[in-house]
Amino acid sequence: MPTDSQGSSVPLIFLGRPILSIRRNQIVNMDGNADQDEFEIFQKHVADRFLDLSSSPTTSSDAAATTTNDVDNFLSIAWLRKLLDVFICCEAEFKAILFLGRDSSNINKPPLDRLGPELLDRTVKALDVCNTINHSVEMLRHWQKLAEIAVMALKQSPLGEGQVRRAKKALHSLLASMTIDDKDAASSKLAERTWSFGRRGAAAAAAKERSTTGPPRLFTSWSVPKNWSAAKQIQAMSSNLVMPRGADSTGMAMPVFIMSTVIVIVTWTLVTAIPCQDRTGLLTHFALSRQLSWAGPIIGLQERIAEEWKKKEKKKSAGLLDEMQRLERCGQALIEFSDSFQYPAEAEKLEEVAMHVAELTETCKKMDEGLLPLQSQLREMFHRIVRSRTEILDVLEQNDKYSSLIL
Amino acid sequence: MEKIPPENCDSFSSQDEKNKNNNPDPDVPSSTSSAHESLSGETKSDALDTSAEITTTEENNEDSAATIEKPETTEDSSSTSDLDSSLPKISEDIDRFLSQLESNQTPEEIPDSVEKFAKLVDDQITIYILDEDPIKWRQDSDEDPSLLESVNKISKLTTALSQLPSDEKYNASINRIGGVLQRAMSYFEDEFRSMLENVDSESNDQKGKQHPEPNDQKGKQQSSNSSNDSCALPEPDSAKATNFPGYSPETVSNLNRIALAMIAAGYETECCQVYSITRRNSFEEALKSNGFDKISIDDVLKMQWQSLEGEISTWIKVLKRCVTIYFSGERKLCDVVFQENHSLSGSLFSNLARGVVIQLLNFAEAVAMTKRSAEKLFKFLDIYEALRDLIPELDTLFPSDCSEDLQNEISSARSALGEAAVGIFSDLENSIKGDNSKTAVPNGAVHPLTRYIMNYLKYACEYKNTLEQIFQVHQKIDQSDGGGSDKESSTPRNADQTAKPSPFSVQLVTVMDMLGSNLEAKSRFYKDLSLNYIFLMNNGRYIIQKIKGSKEIHELIGDSWCRKRSFSLRNYHKNYQRETWNKVLGCLKDEGLQVNGKVAKPVLKERFKSFNAMFEDIHKTQSSWIVSDEQLQSELRVSISAVVIPAYRSFLGRFSQYLDSGRQTEKYIKYGPEDIETSIDELFEGNPASMARRRT
Repeated sequence: MPTDSQGSSVPLIFLGRPILSIRRNQIVNMDGNADQDEFEIFQKHVADRFLDLSSSPTTSSDAAATTTNDVDNFLSIAWLRKLLDVFICCEAEFKAILFLGRDSSNINKPPLDRLGPELLDRTVKALDVCNTINHSVEMLRHWQKLAEIAVMALKQSPLGEGQVRRAKKALHSLLASMTIDDKDAASSKLAERTWSFGRRGAAAAAAKERSTTGPPRLFTSWSVPKNWSAAKQIQAMSSNLVMPRGADSTGMAMPVFIMSTVIVIVTWTLVTAIPCQDRTGLLTHFALSRQLSWAGPIIGLQERIAEEWKKKEKKKSAGLLDEMQRLERCGQALIEFSDSFQYPAEAEKLEEVAMHVAELTETCKKMDEGLLPLQSQLREMFHRIVRSRTEILDVLEQNDKYSSLIL
Repeated sequence: MEKIPPENCDSFSSQDEKNKNNNPDPDVPSSTSSAHESLSGETKSDALDTSAEITTTEENNEDSAATIEKPETTEDSSSTSDLDSSLPKISEDIDRFLSQLESNQTPEEIPDSVEKFAKLVDDQITIYILDEDPIKWRQDSDEDPSLLESVNKISKLTTALSQLPSDEKYNASINRIGGVLQRAMSYFEDEFRSMLENVDSESNDQKGKQHPEPNDQKGKQQSSNSSNDSCALPEPDSAKATNFPGYSPETVSNLNRIALAMIAAGYETECCQVYSITRRNSFEEALKSNGFDKISIDDVLKMQWQSLEGEISTWIKVLKRCVTIYFSGERKLCDVVFQENHSLSGSLFSNLARGVVIQLLNFAEAVAMTKRSAEKLFKFLDIYEALRDLIPELDTLFPSDCSEDLQNEISSARSALGEAAVGIFSDLENSIKGDNSKTAVPNGAVHPLTRYIMNYLKYACEYKNTLEQIFQVHQKIDQSDGGGSDKESSTPRNADQTAKPSPFSVQLVTVMDMLGSNLEAKSRFYKDLSLNYIFLMNNGRYIIQKIKGSKEIHELIGDSWCRKRSFSLRNYHKNYQRETWNKVLGCLKDEGLQVNGKVAKPVLKERFKSFNAMFEDIHKTQSSWIVSDEQLQSELRVSISAVVIPAYRSFLGRFSQYLDSGRQTEKYIKYGPEDIETSIDELFEGNPASMARRRT
């Protein structure tokens, strides 16, 4: 069987293949009832998984809660990894239903002839989101490093001015590069505005040295073209997301709708959590009916995130990611400390600093542990979507051939 | 010292004031906007600003230093020479103190020389920061210990002091030295960045020559500043590209020295951050300057094939350039700058190149996702080959764990492309099947489908090795899937043969056979059976010629297939001959001419008449038929002549005497053997010709 060089290190990516190969033997034995059961199980699984996700605790922004070690904090890296797991499970299950459960020739008939291509279009947009988020995670890794510098510096004892300045410098870089205005992010203004500080503050010198000075322009560009907009892509993915009704709601229409919803909600969540290009006017509401048994937990999740997003909009912070908010909060507190720092530091202040440093340390640790796996999960999500899309298209194409042969 | 331009001093002091105003403000960075404000002029100029801070915060310090006035002090007073002469001396004191610390002696107190040294180095840093020409520190002077050397001592002092048992009496010195170290590191971090962001002019010959400056060093600095491109921008197709990333050996060695100093001082993270970010940005610039634009997958799928084709060509060029030049250049740079730390340089390089490779791969994945169509095959194969060639290169460049990860990524893109290529190629079957137009090509000429398929195959077979590989690796999925019915039928044939043909050649034969049967079906649209055979001969010959003309197809198809084909061609030929010429030859037979042992004149006349009519008719029809293959055309004519002319000649010889000479002869024997021969040579020209016209 497949001996291709994909090898064993990413076996999950290519899980899709066997499903196709067994389908021919199984189609025959499947009757309508079995399909119905499959659908219900699918719906239940989707509901359960999202219920689990939406019941994770939120980090309260007051300092008392900051030391909590719960790894699954809402919108934390660990939580996002769970989210991606959920996506991958739903996707695999959906594909199984699509290919095993019934004669896939229905794909070409209404309403699937419309819902199918719409789903495929969503998956393509989801791929771009995956990529740009993956790129942003790289940025998160830089932020982690900057925070680590601050941690390293502020853990010194006795705490001297040099170390405080070192931490301050790193934290300034951190906060400045985290302050990505969603509007500006779309334009090239980002790099210039955020980073064009002259070495000497004098305008002439600044202009002259613009290209050579300033802290590292973290990201001169995103992984996507300049006109790409996360908000618009999400908008496009969800605009035709309409619950099938009446006769349309039978058969595969509902699973396709569920899967589409899952794709939209997952990509949307990623976009809210992690900065990416142009999130201006990002949707905060998706029209989902609570009557659908599986939709409840998704709506719950959606509303919770939307609320956080609105708060974020007010605060102008970079993203909802728990770790980022911590970086921001601790960073600001520590900059405040460093601004008023006088050597030798008062013991009282040092205690306060130690608390923030501890949180920063903890956050860096989580980032250190979580970001790489998150990136590989994003890659896996990417590869799975690509693979499924190809498989669905193959089925469509074969159906085309069969139907043209019949004609 | 005199070099410091007055406006710099101005700007400096004004900023100082600003800082003084800002600092006591208790809620400065409480909001991001004010954090921004306070940021402007702070982050980069940190080293400088903080010197101001030292003054504000350290006012009670005995040495209150008044760092700000330092430049002026050194300028005005004659202490300049003191400073110069005292630094080497104090350095020696510091060395002594360091060796004392290293031998684990706990000093009673920190010697004064430490403070003096700190101050001197601090001043030195200030001077460098204020100096217009940041290159200065790189020029070692013999009498003066270089800034780097001093800073390395500071860094050693920091380490040594921090290892002393915790004691209040050391703290002030630890703080002082730590502060100086931080300023120095901040300064070197900026230097490191600006060196990385500016390609040296000396490696950019033309640029250097455009700005001749009396002061060489100055000239370099200005030209690279004014050039406005902060990065190594290898211009496409120039020798510079091979020079990537374009730093002079001197710069590289300076980068290494700073990196070493920063790492030794515990500022490794800063150093790596600056390095990886600036190099990443430079690399992106390099890709951009090669014409590589970022395109979202969504856009790739919406793109017209023509524009996408262009993007693919650029992409291939960029990928190859990355493989052959950029990655190795980047790796080398990394290895030299961080030569003391191999694992560090390895991971810095991997992180950078990994991002680039993934970005490039995303495009390949996107292309593979586009709607399949026949014309895309070749570009897909080009991408596939480019990726294939990338793999061995990666093995040499990347540490094995990263390489493996990337191999998987590449494999995935290759699978996608490979499967798409298999799909496209196998789709030829469908385009053959789908070509069932009911109209016959006029005059039995080579069918456009034959031309299309054969030329396509010929072109495809220029990628023979790649296609064989692709079918070997990526066709499996189709087979395990059951594929189409055609594939199932082709599988057992595999097993029958002793030397198993490659999957690609099986597919190729399938396509050819399918083309054959399609042509046979098409031949039936001709009402004239002879034309039917001409059509089959024409197309068959075309196919054989194409196969013979391409070594690759020939090898793949095999001799036996060709022999089989040639055999059917000969059969068509025979059939044609029989169909068209048997009746004609029937006129020239002896049988039935003699009645009671005598030649029956009316029968003879009838024979001549029908021969003439038949021949004229055939000539008229078949001269408009087309046999474009010259060899086939002449073979046909020769074979026709070979049967018709001797028969006619002998018929004439034996029976012309029975016709009355004169009018009768002229009426019935319209053509001499030579006329017949000439007329036969006019067949299959594609020009309807009339024999009558020629007779006049």
